[in-house]
Amino acid sequence: MSACLYNMKTANHILIFKTNITTPEDRLKVAAVLDQQPFISKWTVDTEDIDRVLRIESAIAATAPIIHLIRSRNYECAELED
Amino acid sequence: MRYRDENKMQAIRDCAIEMVAKNGLENFGINRLAKAAGVSPATIYIYYKDKEDLLTSISIEEGVKMTRATLKGFDPNASFREGLWVQWKNRAAFSLDNLLAAEFFEQLRNSTYKDKMREAISLEFRKSMGSFIENAVKRGEINEMPLEVYWSVAFAPLYALIRFHNEGQSLDGRKFKFSESIMKQTFDCVLKGLSK
Repeated sequence: MSACLYNMKTANHILIFKTNITTPEDRLKVAAVLDQQPFISKWTVDTEDIDRVLRIESAIAATAPIIHLIRSRNYECAELED
Repeated sequence: MRYRDENKMQAIRDCAIEMVAKNGLENFGINRLAKAAGVSPATIYIYYKDKEDLLTSISIEEGVKMTRATLKGFDPNASFREGLWVQWKNRAAFSLDNLLAAEFFEQLRNSTYKDKMREAISLEFRKSMGSFIENAVKRGEINEMPLEVYWSVAFAPLYALIRFHNEGQSLDGRKFKFSESIMKQTFDCVLKGLSK
């Protein structure tokens, strides 16, 4: 059981950001950082939408760290508020 | 933290169906949907990852809803007359009560969404329908025939009546209103046509 604890990180946070991730190349660049985060279980970018919405399913409410990560790759990123 | 809210989700779904039904797929987008549903785009993204995800999920749900409504109280082992009449009543009730859903499906015609919906509903539906026709052939109630021939005679007349009703007029602008007696009269002709 205990060995499973790490994998049991349920993605109970859905984080939504407005970005300018547009092309497949852009997507690859952010993938390089997002895929490395153990707390992110799934992420998608809606490149068809005007806000290029980045949607992240995460085990923790890591809004600020994600904004920092995306901006470190020279892309815009701001939380899309309710 | 964001929580799923079933009421909000339902409002988003209803609004999406209405928008696609009235304005088509081309004009549909998450931002427009958010405005129409009175929620923020962020709220929609909590439930769906993009437009495609949203439309696929709604098509499947609506398809399943339609299948359930069509198969309600339907017994594949019933006599041909009885089974077909249940089908007519169910299909008429669903089509008349779910105008928007019908329009929504019409807009999805030939889209990948419709294919996904078909995949989701076909198993249950084909099993019941297939054995119903098979039984009727075995009992000698109807002749064996291609599915297209069967459908065109068995159901297309009903949908013609429903279309007249929805348009409020039939041929040459004659006023038309659907009724059970009109349905029964048409059904009797169909039954006569299909029966051996």
